[in-house]
Amino acid sequence: MVQRISFVSLALSLAVGVASAQQRPITGKVVGSATSAPVAGASVTVVGTPIGAVTNDQGEFTISAPAGPITLLIRSVGYRSRQVPVTADASSVTANLDQDVFNLEAVVVTGQVTGVAQRNLANAVTTLPAAEINRAPTQTLEGALQGKIPGALIQENSGAPGGGAQIIMRGVTTINAGVDPLVVLDGMIVANDAIPNGMNAITAAQAGGNPNNQDNKVNRIADLIPNDIESIEVLKGASAAAIYGGQAANGVIIITTKRGRAGKPRFNVTQRFGTSSVANSIGSRRFADSAEAVATFKAAAAPYCTKTSCPFFDNESVLFGEHPLNVETDASMTGGNDQTQYYVSGIVRKDGGIAPNTGYQKQSIRANLDQLLGSRFKLSVNLNSIHSLSNRGLSNNDNTGTSPYVVLPTTPSFFDARPVNGVYPVNPFTTSNPLQTFAELTNAEDVWRILGSSTLKVDAVTTPTQRVQLTLTGGLDFFSQRNDVLSPADLQFEPLDGEPGTVILGKGSDLRQNLVGSVVHTYTSPSNALSATSSAGFQYENRDLNVTSVVGRTIALGLQNVSQATSITSTQFEQPIKNLGLYAQEEVLAANQRLLLTAGARADRSSVNGDPDHYYIYPKAAASYRFVSSAGGGDELKVRAAWGQTGNLPLFGARFALDTNAVVGGQFGQFPSLQLGDPTIKPERNTEIEGGLDATFGNQFATFGLTLYQKTITDLLLVQSVAPSTGYQTRIFNGGEIRNRGIEAALAVSPVRAPDVNWILRSTFSLNRSKVLQLPVPNFNIVGIGFGTSLGAFRIAKDSSATQIVGTEGVVGDANPDFLMSLSSDLTYKRFSLGFLWDWKHGGDVINLTQLLYDLAGNSPDQVPAGNQRVTDWLGGHTKVYVQDGSYLKLREVSVGYDLPPDLPQHFGMRTARISFTGRNLLRFTPYKGLDPEVSNFDNQAIGRGVDVGPFPPSRSFFFSIDVGF
Amino acid sequence: MRAPTKLSPVTTGMIAGLAVATVIVAGACDFNIANPNNPASIGPNATAAQVDAAAQGVVAAFRIDLTSWILKSGIIGREDYRLDTADPRFTSELLTGPLDPSNAAFGGGQWQREYRSIAAGYTILNVIGSAQLTDPEKNAVRGFIQTMQALAFLIVLDAHTEDSIPIDVNRPVGGPLAPLVTNDSAYKALNVILDSAQTALQAAGSAFPNELGPGFAGFNTPATFLKFNRALAARVYAYRASLGALPAGTYSTTWSACPTCWDAALTALGQSFISATAPLDQGTYVTYSTGNQDLPNDLSQDVPSAIQLVHPSIKANAELQTGGTLLDQRFLNKVADRGTPPDTFSLACLASALSWIRYPTPNSSVPIIRNEELFLLRAEANWFGATGTKAQAISDLNFIRQTSGGLNPTAVTTASTDAAFVDDLLKQRLYSLMYEGGHRWIDLRRYGRLGQLPIDRPTGCASPTLPKDTVFSTLPVNSFEVQARQ
Repeated sequence: MVQRISFVSLALSLAVGVASAQQRPITGKVVGSATSAPVAGASVTVVGTPIGAVTNDQGEFTISAPAGPITLLIRSVGYRSRQVPVTADASSVTANLDQDVFNLEAVVVTGQVTGVAQRNLANAVTTLPAAEINRAPTQTLEGALQGKIPGALIQENSGAPGGGAQIIMRGVTTINAGVDPLVVLDGMIVANDAIPNGMNAITAAQAGGNPNNQDNKVNRIADLIPNDIESIEVLKGASAAAIYGGQAANGVIIITTKRGRAGKPRFNVTQRFGTSSVANSIGSRRFADSAEAVATFKAAAAPYCTKTSCPFFDNESVLFGEHPLNVETDASMTGGNDQTQYYVSGIVRKDGGIAPNTGYQKQSIRANLDQLLGSRFKLSVNLNSIHSLSNRGLSNNDNTGTSPYVVLPTTPSFFDARPVNGVYPVNPFTTSNPLQTFAELTNAEDVWRILGSSTLKVDAVTTPTQRVQLTLTGGLDFFSQRNDVLSPADLQFEPLDGEPGTVILGKGSDLRQNLVGSVVHTYTSPSNALSATSSAGFQYENRDLNVTSVVGRTIALGLQNVSQATSITSTQFEQPIKNLGLYAQEEVLAANQRLLLTAGARADRSSVNGDPDHYYIYPKAAASYRFVSSAGGGDELKVRAAWGQTGNLPLFGARFALDTNAVVGGQFGQFPSLQLGDPTIKPERNTEIEGGLDATFGNQFATFGLTLYQKTITDLLLVQSVAPSTGYQTRIFNGGEIRNRGIEAALAVSPVRAPDVNWILRSTFSLNRSKVLQLPVPNFNIVGIGFGTSLGAFRIAKDSSATQIVGTEGVVGDANPDFLMSLSSDLTYKRFSLGFLWDWKHGGDVINLTQLLYDLAGNSPDQVPAGNQRVTDWLGGHTKVYVQDGSYLKLREVSVGYDLPPDLPQHFGMRTARISFTGRNLLRFTPYKGLDPEVSNFDNQAIGRGVDVGPFPPSRSFFFSIDVGF
Repeated sequence: MRAPTKLSPVTTGMIAGLAVATVIVAGACDFNIANPNNPASIGPNATAAQVDAAAQGVVAAFRIDLTSWILKSGIIGREDYRLDTADPRFTSELLTGPLDPSNAAFGGGQWQREYRSIAAGYTILNVIGSAQLTDPEKNAVRGFIQTMQALAFLIVLDAHTEDSIPIDVNRPVGGPLAPLVTNDSAYKALNVILDSAQTALQAAGSAFPNELGPGFAGFNTPATFLKFNRALAARVYAYRASLGALPAGTYSTTWSACPTCWDAALTALGQSFISATAPLDQGTYVTYSTGNQDLPNDLSQDVPSAIQLVHPSIKANAELQTGGTLLDQRFLNKVADRGTPPDTFSLACLASALSWIRYPTPNSSVPIIRNEELFLLRAEANWFGATGTKAQAISDLNFIRQTSGGLNPTAVTTASTDAAFVDDLLKQRLYSLMYEGGHRWIDLRRYGRLGQLPIDRPTGCASPTLPKDTVFSTLPVNSFEVQARQ
């Protein structure tokens, strides 16, 4: 101990001594070669030493360099890095940086802590910089990713405020295991749980034994603040994600938050005002006279119509007709010196909803601190506290006549649901008046979340050719979710169950503790022709999810506490999990940085496996080679290939065969569960091979990337229906094989190269086809998704697409899109900027049961004759009529901005000022007949997305923003 | 070329520290985490408390499907409608078909949940020998469990007339499945199970080691529980007797006549709790409650807004009470106008202004078998059985007509035809037992009279478009059972 400390002091004093004896100051300026504009924030380092500096706003830097000839390495995001030799007697230098139009030099994370430049990358990893993430404001992180990642299908589950969205990468990865990608935030795995709000106690959507919750849950990645993100990297398949091993089967989203920049404090404030409105409605049948009304709605309809006419009330538009004021304030501050840098940000957002009593609020504060401790230690501390409150109203399937799009089909348009003198009329045609329901029912989801991590990096060895870096990250992610649902006793439907008034109190919390350690050794040959990076480390994760819910029934009007209810049902669900991964990886960059060879492996154990002590090994290997144009100008062609494996953990509890329990007359009873566990259950295994090429041509006019992949999933966690006469419904076991094959392409073009113009057009294309190769069980319908074959079921069948939909008459559709495409543009001309993003999904069927409800009630806007014909066809055994094309083309984002001339803001003491108009989901084109083809009644599902039963309608939003910088 | 790397002691220390941390994390943490959400199943050497929890679990498992069965069998047997705007299948699938064998809530029901209750029983029976109980206590548990298993089997048979019934289901999961037997054999097996329970109960001492719960009040000793066991046996014998008397092919090609079953029913009734002095509601019940963690009775409904409505034929066919203008007292007890004035609720070409209030609150219990049914069973067995007399049959029938319905004595005489007797018997059974588990459907079926059920939509429905109504004689065998055997 004593010896070690003394060595540290010795080493430090030596370093200081050497520096003071031989240092010489060098000053310089870094400018862009095209514009001669200063490049602020560029990093300048003396090659072979840890000595470095950062340029100021004028692009200037000062550095204390050792004596003798040296080489400066200058890097800045958006520019190609450059090495500048400085002779022994020079004391000032000017460096011109060429623009790196397509960010080919950006370093992409390929290991837990290591990375390679985009231009060498052997995998198709998508990197999104902050500018692309934040083109138009969004409530949730997933919204900011839609249409931007080739190979990823990102869809919201409904239009309800506060999120609930699914990211599917490269097709079908599982049938029964986890479906969400692993989210890694600043090196730490964060929670993405979706905790039900308990609404099922009112909707009884799960009545009839449906095991899947239909509460329209929010998966908690929605909490993360897009504005705080510096970049997002998306590892789509197993070949790239293998280093995350047993949890990476659905891909990995690596999020890096913004960090402080040395220099004078910079303060930026953005104020936004906006509104949103419903983007689509279904409509309702118009009745001509009392005869027609009575024919459909029976005698109860008679008083509403005359012999010659019926009134028309658009109850749907009244319900979803709000145009709320949405306000958002973002502020961030960054600054520091060469020892300490900080980034602090805050956001306050308040969105009203398009329906009464709905809306979304979010507040967040983040502080990221980087501190150099001596010359070798660097401590980074990140703290983020987030609060979100969403009022989500009531939506999705129900069996009690409560959810608006289940009630509206049976509410005729001649019934005026609006209140008279504050009293809502009783809906004589069904069990509730949706206007009353939304006016009085509250469904609030209140989430507090804290994310904290600290990372200690040690440059243990730094020589011109060798570098050893140790990193230790400790992270904590904790959130507490509270759901408060109050359905007052005077709502029309409340007395129906004999227990008027329902109150639900849900409390869920998830604690995630991460400890990640790594050691990285880098060897760089003196000529820079060869470098080798070896890394090894561990990742330990402890999770504790604990959800309790109390449902109180029969509660008097005006009361709201569960202890005031007459009868109480309480549930608790706990999910403690421990995971440990050990990994090692070698990356060799050879042949003058043209050849990249990578190999690595990860070993994972988890408490959810049948054998919790067994390590499952996930290897990977990859290679790429760049052919560089001899003409210069940055044109090059890269060919690449990669292979790797990842796993998908069994769901918690799959290894047990336990009882379930109930109370009868105050007595505890227990009996076998519906599902038989398997004590030998093990993770699913994804094996992926991908190959492709990336080309940059026309002197950085365009880049084009093409990737082909094949991904096979073996040891699938299969839930087999067992003979029900055994008393069990299902058993879980490993078996079967699914294959995905796909193509991804990305094209980026910089069509105009002029000093005042910066224009990049990007387009992505992807398609995926899946096939069930082996199935050791009979073909089966996925349990709990859909409502039986006659209403469309997802059937897993050997040699068929894993996402096929079958109806009474056989295969009637496929939920898998034919292809996905997107087109985005970012143009700046002088002070103006214009950006947009189109997102196109072609094909992919949706089961439109909302329309079925309207048709059955005789109340579709096109009921006569189209709706009647649909019902007749359906009853005649044609499920196909309600399995409809879910294609869409959406204008996801539009942004128009103008930077005010500098003298104007400076007159008011500001550095910069900018005004912009942004819009989200402004336009959509779809052949789909329902509210929105982006829908999932059963929330995030591996296969059974796209079941439409009374979703919350979609909305479009606009913002006017003012950004000012100080 | 590559320079030898000399790690400084700092680095070595750090790497060693990292390695130590790895080892600590890898070794010290126990990854063997139990599932805190579910209890382990009963095993060998079970304590009395474990047996008690598992035995109550059999009741809990049985209870899950019971209200759904009552609703569904009532709809198919035209006792009621469920005019549910949110789920069209109550007015389409159950009345016009096709029945969906994959959906346990509809066509594929009355299978897995009943067998789950039976399997729960076997988890106890398989280890009861080693339980920490006396031998009489073990027999008491056996008698209770086997009787409850027979009850679950009976619901499966009530819903299915196909010859594809697994009976010998006490097998390890994953092994060969229980062979399918004919309906006839399955009914016979029920009597065997009930008789086996009888034997156990007779050797069971004076008390159960497990608490039977409030549904078995008055039947919670082996001796009194045996009376319930015999009542069930009588019902099974009566079903076998009437089914066996059907013309060949009406029901099942392999059905065998059981001329002695009527007498066996009379014998069993004699050993049951039938009593002219006890309330007609005396019997065994499945309880529901809004209490903590309990299950409310989801058949209870708010009268004015009810959507589970009475079939209009129930009112149309009700007789008047003696000397008055009032309808059958049983009708008045179980049916209420949906509103004042009567509020007709229509959906899918069906309409009714009457709610049924058989279960007025979520705490209402559902009868398993009660005194009133025993009299009707005795009337039936006395009419047809060799040891019974038609006069006794008419006496039992009138006892129910008068005591329960407030009606005049029956017009049936000892000289009447069998058909005339059955006409009135089934009518009394309808009004006595309506909304208690599909008795109208089961009774008409076992007398080959399903054709007498009213057809509400003989030409279908225009809006929504529905074909003509059908009367199903059986639910299809659950498709997962069929698939598992392919």
